[in-house]
Amino acid sequence: MGLIDDIKSFSEKEKLGAKKNELLQSFLAKGFPTIKEEEWKYTSLKNIVAESFSVEENGTEISKGDIEKYILGFKYKIIFLEGVLISKPNIKGVDISDFSNFETKNDDAIFGLNSALAKKGFTIKVENNIILEAPIEILFFSNTKNNTFVQHRNKIIIGDNANIKFVERIQNLSSTKCFTNHLTQIHIGKNTNIEYNKIQDNSANSILIDNINIYQLQDSNAIVNTLIFGGAFTRNTLSFEQNGSNCDSNMNGISILDDNQFADNHTFVDHKQPHCRSNEMYKGIYLGKSKGVFNGKIMVRPDAQKIDAFQSNNNLLLSESATIDSKPQLEIYADDVKCSHGCTIGQLDDEAIFYMRSRGIGAEEARAVLTYAFASEAVNNISIPEVKKLAQKLIAKKLNVDLDFNL
Amino acid sequence: MIKITNLKAGIGETLILNGVNLEVKAGEVHAIMGPNGSGKSTLASIIAGKEDYEVTEGEIGFEGEDLLELPPEERANKGVFLSFQYPVEIPGISVSNFIKTSINERRKAKGLEPMPTPKLLKMMREKMELLSIKDGYLSRNMNEGFSGGEKKRNEIFQMAMLEPKLSILDETDSGLDIDALRIVANGVNKLKTNDNATIVITHYQRLLDYIVPDFVHVLYNGRIVKSGGAILAHELEEKGYDYIIKEADKKWA
Repeated sequence: MGLIDDIKSFSEKEKLGAKKNELLQSFLAKGFPTIKEEEWKYTSLKNIVAESFSVEENGTEISKGDIEKYILGFKYKIIFLEGVLISKPNIKGVDISDFSNFETKNDDAIFGLNSALAKKGFTIKVENNIILEAPIEILFFSNTKNNTFVQHRNKIIIGDNANIKFVERIQNLSSTKCFTNHLTQIHIGKNTNIEYNKIQDNSANSILIDNINIYQLQDSNAIVNTLIFGGAFTRNTLSFEQNGSNCDSNMNGISILDDNQFADNHTFVDHKQPHCRSNEMYKGIYLGKSKGVFNGKIMVRPDAQKIDAFQSNNNLLLSESATIDSKPQLEIYADDVKCSHGCTIGQLDDEAIFYMRSRGIGAEEARAVLTYAFASEAVNNISIPEVKKLAQKLIAKKLNVDLDFNL
Repeated sequence: MIKITNLKAGIGETLILNGVNLEVKAGEVHAIMGPNGSGKSTLASIIAGKEDYEVTEGEIGFEGEDLLELPPEERANKGVFLSFQYPVEIPGISVSNFIKTSINERRKAKGLEPMPTPKLLKMMREKMELLSIKDGYLSRNMNEGFSGGEKKRNEIFQMAMLEPKLSILDETDSGLDIDALRIVANGVNKLKTNDNATIVITHYQRLLDYIVPDFVHVLYNGRIVKSGGAILAHELEEKGYDYIIKEADKKWA
């Protein structure tokens, strides 16, 4: 028995409806992606899907005390327990509701599976001209009795001239495995700014496949910050489609992994219109036997002139057994564009370590400070102080150092 | 304060220091001069504890302790300071955080509590004034994007903050224009007491017009081949190193 069989037997007793059943059958015919597929070349699901999972959520009770420590405490909170929306804020001009079905292009088997099976998630509709000072905090908690495979399907539609920030966290509280297939589609209106922060610090028995697809209209600015500290396996696919001129798409990512943790960041920026920009900075720090993957694709379509696209992926390998596979992909079909990408993989600078030691800073501290400094560049781009502080705290914790950087 | 006896060291098979003898007492300023490749910077790096070099013979005693047995951070905490010829850029760490970490690590080694932030900031302001350092400097990343002169000034700023017993200034004058040179030298002179000592490593006599040494040594082929008073520096400026090199080559041929 493996996950495929679990999904099969679930679908036999569940009435999905004709359309969803068709999607499911097409998934079952292909199965989960394997490393033979280009987009999954370095990311193997084999061991994960060989195990058995329950496809229905079967949670045990969650107490308030259990979840409190994961909440940053912003004014606006959306809380899901076992996929059930239990708390949502009342904000003028912002309509928040439960799951609502919507269609997507299912060019990836995992997307298709989400389309077929998902029944849970949030829908947020924001009117024009809504500006929120405080971010909307989105929390998904699960506390399953046995290994569980869950689908979340979320949609955010934001009107014109709005300014909204989000902080999202998915947290597994149980000692069993939770495999989440999380999909979020975000439509951004004209002249609207959004910032989406993903705090991926889930428990060590968590598996996450996260897809965010962002569609931008002209003069909009989208920022996505991805902070990966926890989880056994994380695959983030993040795409931006620029459907108007003068759009900005920004991504910052930090992964700090140890033991046998795995994280994959797949990004795609589709420059379809002229006079747009994209800026991407992913940093990875790998300890123990951890493994990282970065795949950053930038597409500049024939009519998208005057594009400014920048991508960087910098990695520190702090252990002999850690690995990173990094792959930039640039496809440029316009002639008047500025595109650059850079990828580095290295160790800490011995000269810098000696310099610090010569100032009385011990070798271990020097390494920690330099590692911290390496990560901080991406953290500094986070605009929400509480998130920034949490990121700093989690980095220090992960590196096992006690350093005060506030002066 | 520091006593170097018959120090021989190198990298791999290459011997760079060939038996250096030098004693510096508290309150003294020594200048080490010499042509390029004579081993000046190697000597400075070995005193500070750089692990790239292998010491094959000899001793370095610092206030009665065997310095060669200690890791670089412990040497620093005992009061050894090296002003780097090429200060290292450390992106992501501000000057203030760097200095704060370094001062507090040092205090920790001595069993002291961290220095209270207001006291630390006050001290930083004072030392910045001493070296004519402009505001906004503390929040810049350590040496990142600094000009050559700014990097050197930053070294002396750290020296002022850390108050070492023995300061080794490795080519501190290179990269400084004449005004900056005067400010830096003036700072070094003001930090001088009867209890600390300075070793100034320089290729040119120029810096020694401002920081007047008690003794001048010429290092050549990994040996101190000539020592004298401040006047020796002027002699070298006039005549060059050639006449000393000739003498030395004859002696150690």
